Amino acid sequence: MNSWPRLLLWITTTIVLIFMVLPIVIVVIMSFSNSRFLTFPPPAVSLRWYEAYFGSPDWMDATWNSFLLAVIATVVTVPIGTAAAYAANISQSKMVRRLQLLLLTPVMVPVIILAAGIYMVYAQVGLVATKTGLVCAYAMMNLPYVFISVLAGLRSFDMNQEDVARSLGVNRFTAFMKVTLPQIRPSVITGALFAFIGALDETVVSLFIAGGENQTLPRRMFMSLRNEIDPTIASISSVLITISFALMIMSSLRGKRAHAV
Amino acid sequence: MRTLTRAVSVMSIALAATLSTAALAQEAVTYATDGGAILDAMSPALIKPAEKSLGIRVITDTNADRYPPLKAQVASGKPIWDVVDFSAGYCARGVSEGLLEPLDYSKIPNAASVPAAFKDTHSVGLSAYATVLAYNTETFGDNGPKSWADFWDVKKFPGRRALRNYARPMLEIALLADGVAPANLYPLDVDRAYAKLKEIKPHIAVWWTSGAETTQLLVDGEVDMLPLWDGRVSAALREGAPAKFTRNQAIMENTCLAVPKGTQHKDSALKLINSLLDPKGQAAWVKEYTTGPLNTEFAKYVDPNRLKDLTTSPENLAMQVPLSATWWASPAGADAEKRWLGFMQN
Amino acid sequence: MSDLPLEQQIASTPSMEEAIARAERAEQRMYLLLFAPALLLVLLFLGIPLAILAFQSFREGDSFTLMHYARIFQEPIYWRTYYDTLEISVIVTLLSVILGFPLAYAAAVASRRWSALILALVMLPFWTSVLVRTYAWLVVLQRRGIINTTLLNLGIIDQPLSLSHNFVAVLIGMLHVMLPFMVFPLYAAISKIPAELLQAGHSLGGSPAYVFRRVILPLSAPGIIAGSILVFILSLGFYLTPELLGGGKTIMVSSLVQRNVELYLQFGAASAVAMILLVTVCIIFWAVDRVLPVEKIVGMR
Repeated sequence: MNSWPRLLLWITTTIVLIFMVLPIVIVVIMSFSNSRFLTFPPPAVSLRWYEAYFGSPDWMDATWNSFLLAVIATVVTVPIGTAAAYAANISQSKMVRRLQLLLLTPVMVPVIILAAGIYMVYAQVGLVATKTGLVCAYAMMNLPYVFISVLAGLRSFDMNQEDVARSLGVNRFTAFMKVTLPQIRPSVITGALFAFIGALDETVVSLFIAGGENQTLPRRMFMSLRNEIDPTIASISSVLITISFALMIMSSLRGKRAHAV
Repeated sequence: MRTLTRAVSVMSIALAATLSTAALAQEAVTYATDGGAILDAMSPALIKPAEKSLGIRVITDTNADRYPPLKAQVASGKPIWDVVDFSAGYCARGVSEGLLEPLDYSKIPNAASVPAAFKDTHSVGLSAYATVLAYNTETFGDNGPKSWADFWDVKKFPGRRALRNYARPMLEIALLADGVAPANLYPLDVDRAYAKLKEIKPHIAVWWTSGAETTQLLVDGEVDMLPLWDGRVSAALREGAPAKFTRNQAIMENTCLAVPKGTQHKDSALKLINSLLDPKGQAAWVKEYTTGPLNTEFAKYVDPNRLKDLTTSPENLAMQVPLSATWWASPAGADAEKRWLGFMQN
Repeated sequence: MSDLPLEQQIASTPSMEEAIARAERAEQRMYLLLFAPALLLVLLFLGIPLAILAFQSFREGDSFTLMHYARIFQEPIYWRTYYDTLEISVIVTLLSVILGFPLAYAAAVASRRWSALILALVMLPFWTSVLVRTYAWLVVLQRRGIINTTLLNLGIIDQPLSLSHNFVAVLIGMLHVMLPFMVFPLYAAISKIPAELLQAGHSLGGSPAYVFRRVILPLSAPGIIAGSILVFILSLGFYLTPELLGGGKTIMVSSLVQRNVELYLQFGAASAVAMILLVTVCIIFWAVDRVLPVEKIVGMR
């Protein structure tokens, strides 16, 4: 290739990458500001906003709630999604194949529509701002991630191995748990990770159906961002960025072992 | 595999533990209110002491628009909020739409010193506030806009402007800018008000939705002039915002406390209301936030110099224009409010 | 089995087949059973809400009506918002192709280490909460934010630019969220182009533009289509960034739905707006499914 298009390519790439990363770097720097203003660079370094986050019972409650809800939702989603992927992988039935597409609809329907619809249903049956309601909504929304990820794992797994175990007199469930699951574990874990992050991060649906004692962190953050640009958000953001960073490294390490997603 | 099973069992034990501790925890009352400076000041002065003396946990749910969610919550039969504060027009509407629990005043002794004009069977006044005109002194020095007519004068006072994304009290402000005398304001000439607003619309950079946002707009110099609540502008000044404000033609309203119909914690809700009306607590509140508590007893505990700054001081009352909550609760008021969305979009 | 007399063999066959068929049916039943909880979850928490939305969109009080749909075409508030939503989604999609292509191409042709770095720098924001990123843009774009201060200090401008609380801010914020959705499918497509093909193009004397037009572009088309569909559809229903960066103006259809539900309690109007959006998305998926299987596109998300 001539050198000028190559140069152009790298310059554009660098600019776009700066565009991608810049806001994240700035948030981390802002979180150590001592000022309530959004002045950049910060006048002096302080941990004021970290104290504001970790010292506020309201923020801590919301964080803990979100974490708890995400764990429960993951525990619910993973077995359901894995079972469905298992069935979809080996069933020859046309019906199962056709129904498979249905399991992907939660990521195809715009979230705002999900949120409005779920809210209208929940308002009728008294599930608004309940743990049950939130967990079910999160489980439904993240099911496709578990399903796709586990299905990908099963596709690259040789099902004959399970049949061999069964022909040796092991029942089907044990054969699955002892033979199949250990081998598709990376894709199950990836699916679980997606489900967990998805639930932890879910904002739009939470805006409609969380609240009161069941406040979630993203909902509180959204309210705070819309109302006032409280610098506490910067410290929370930095904590979240650290978590995303750790998860990203974890998932890329996993990705090397099995390209599940 | 074993690690996975172990992880699941550990998780479920942790889960069971948290769920059971949650059940043992003290009663939680959810108080829906406005966020930002007002809550920052209210929290140590009124809410924390209430938690301590009543032995309950008060969860604050901040939301700039509290009436519609409340309506939906009550309709669902299981409101999330136990205590809510509104601008007074909404309390009146809440009563007529049957959304509020009647108040048992024997459980709210502090309400005795709230003037009768600010309480009814279902709600009790919390504090008075005013929508004042503020401007950035870095842009205008000391010669900023002094009246709503000045706000509309984009030639004499060029600069970025913000208005509230809401009909109330923007219609009042528009009519005052158009030269209507305060005494002749009500019933509002809605057509005239919207026509006047249409004039200024192209010059509005930000349509604010919450009080806390206005503090931010002023502190960060995002706009050069805007109408906002007196407490919010004072908070911005405390933060060192380069700004000044005038109470000339400021629109005065008040907030009221109410209990949503069907709440699970009615008793604690009434106790919380009583604590929020505590005169000493209200006095501590106005040290940090400029407003006009409606429990008149609070004045005994406040420095007279500070009293002068508050919304309800006699000097300020003379300059401000009281808003008619009754008009806004009337069908004409409700229609005027509905027209806002269409006005914003065109 | 062959030791058995012929008659017996013949007699046993139907029952064998029957047994096999029975076992197969049992097997199928088990698969359906395993499939059922997932299906139930989706039907209960997605099917019913969508059904309710569809139902509500035709109702006012206790009677059936088309007024909610009529309103969308009559009142400018509604159709203007649809128009703006389409416009901004198209712009975001085009911009993410334009900006995403060089990035994906660079990642595909670079050495392994550089390629990993480029992808990681796209991944990091992708894994970061949209709220966090929106907050970041508020800081960067506001009137006294770093872009304005830098430009002012450098003397490039003498009045701060209006970057926040408007269309530009929404565009920048959305582009930042959508770009990874474009880069990943593009990267997948481009990295599949054999290096020899590119070299062949060059060694045959083709100009870079010629190689790009005749080799790279056609071969990366599936990636462009997948990425564009993903970005376009996500943009159509995007809520958070427009709401937070839009300065209180209703810019997108999603805000119209939210406001009608939460502020005006107009469930009928909200449902009709949502249904039109849903139908639009369905039509797009249906049309694209003929070119590229939906599972593939969704799987990339």
